[in-house]
Amino acid sequence: MASIIEVKNLSYTYDGDAQIVKDAIHDISFSIEKGEIVGIIGHTGSGKSTLIQHLNGLLKPASGEVLLNGKNIWDDPKNIKDIRFKVGLVFQYPEYQLFEETVFADIAFGPKNMGLTGDELKNRVESICDTVGIKREYFDKSPFDLSGGEKRRVAIAGVMAMKPEVLILDEPIAGLDPKGRHEVSAMVKNYREKFGATVIIVSHNMEDMASLADKLIVLSGGKLVMYDTAYNVFSKGDMLSEIGLSVPVVTKVLKLINEKNNDIRTDIFTLKDAVEYLCALSAGGKNA
Amino acid sequence: MLKDITFGQYYESNSIVHRLDPRTKILVLILDIVFLFLTKSIYSLIVPAVQTVLILIISKVPAKMFLRNIKTILPIIIFTSIINLFYGNSGTVLLTVWYFTITTSGILRAVYMGSRIILLILLSSVLTYTTTPNDITDAIESLLSFMRIFRLQNAVHMLAMMMTIALRFIPTLVEETEKIMNAQKARGADLENGRLIERIKALIPILIPLLISSVRRAYELAEAMECRCYNGGVGRVRMKRLKYSWADLWAAFINIMFCGGIIAINTLI
Repeated sequence: MASIIEVKNLSYTYDGDAQIVKDAIHDISFSIEKGEIVGIIGHTGSGKSTLIQHLNGLLKPASGEVLLNGKNIWDDPKNIKDIRFKVGLVFQYPEYQLFEETVFADIAFGPKNMGLTGDELKNRVESICDTVGIKREYFDKSPFDLSGGEKRRVAIAGVMAMKPEVLILDEPIAGLDPKGRHEVSAMVKNYREKFGATVIIVSHNMEDMASLADKLIVLSGGKLVMYDTAYNVFSKGDMLSEIGLSVPVVTKVLKLINEKNNDIRTDIFTLKDAVEYLCALSAGGKNA
Repeated sequence: MLKDITFGQYYESNSIVHRLDPRTKILVLILDIVFLFLTKSIYSLIVPAVQTVLILIISKVPAKMFLRNIKTILPIIIFTSIINLFYGNSGTVLLTVWYFTITTSGILRAVYMGSRIILLILLSSVLTYTTTPNDITDAIESLLSFMRIFRLQNAVHMLAMMMTIALRFIPTLVEETEKIMNAQKARGADLENGRLIERIKALIPILIPLLISSVRRAYELAEAMECRCYNGGVGRVRMKRLKYSWADLWAAFINIMFCGGIIAINTLI
């Protein structure tokens, strides 16, 4: 498969005083295949946000390059705006960027900047809202009258409305209640299924990463320490805890059981797999 | 881009100027500026020039920090000097172009005006470089405490508190603005191109979220302050009390001597 995003030897330091070594990134290279879900995990200040801001051209690399569909995004700096339509970036707490009088107008902001007008614009907004489950009766409401979770969904839909090939979300479920988290995860899933988009998620939540991501990028101190399948990354639990990260809770539970009973597997990272494994185990135990 | 905005440009150091009471620094600054404008010619300007250089040296703030301040207002200095260049009405005529004549006194006048602005900027930057914004507001509150006789002490306290809060939130707001700008850029907002009207319109998606978050922050802060039983200035005591020392007396004395020097040269020349 062709890689949609390729990062080659990317480095960036926040200029000015040398004291801001935090958030800088050094010599990062990886490539992401079309349609994959890739998670980025790392300690606070490990350079996650800096990295994703390079992928849609908000930051210009100090050295190295970012390729989108095989083309350096900075080949033509005047067209960097088009890159931002192709690589949609949802920032942390995106609900704070809402500004329009109605939900409809806010979601339409992105597509409008792309040059869509009239019916085309209306169809675009409606089709996105149908995909991600924002009901029509919300269209004329003020985004500021919505609940926290609803605001978040509207803000994310505002980026999705540009129909980016690559959707990057920075901590999309942080600070939401369980219902809100579920809804946001579902809308990302629906978007991906419908448009075949590539999704990159930055998160601290190891459980979500284990169940969502195909591959994980692990950053520490601005360097890429691992880029592998979720299974392989979480198998190296010791290495993760060394850099301030951890494995999913369910894996921790299995490890604790393993200390008492060495026959228990510890390479299970999602709740669903763990339940299946434990059920099979207890059924097997009864039969024996 | 926004990172370049320096406000409350305190420079950490441990000079004698840093240790002076902020009230002394404010009063002495006012005194020095008044006398700076009482100088009558470039000759009496020598006194405040020497005075300023001495203050800069003992403040232990690097010279490049002061140069940076002068650089920002360089256009104003140049503009003032050029205008004054043509106002010399005596001395030898050096050059006549069309209506304008440049004389030796004109050149002296231009240099005088220009250096007066430079000295003004240097003196005021000493205050901001050596005093934290919070110390400055404390000092203002203390200096205005005579308003008590008009029963306005609570108003003075509130004013000082508002200034403190405003200063405290400037970095937060700058950070917030940057975040919102990036978020709207990611949605294709164009902030750099277009005609004036388009550019002003492009600010709306940034200003509205910024305004809303400021109001939200204000509510949260007010609530947090009330939770800690803040109810205005009445009966409040300070953790850090301002206290005059002998150094303050000396600083005031020395500066008054310099001001006397200006008067002396003004009358002699």
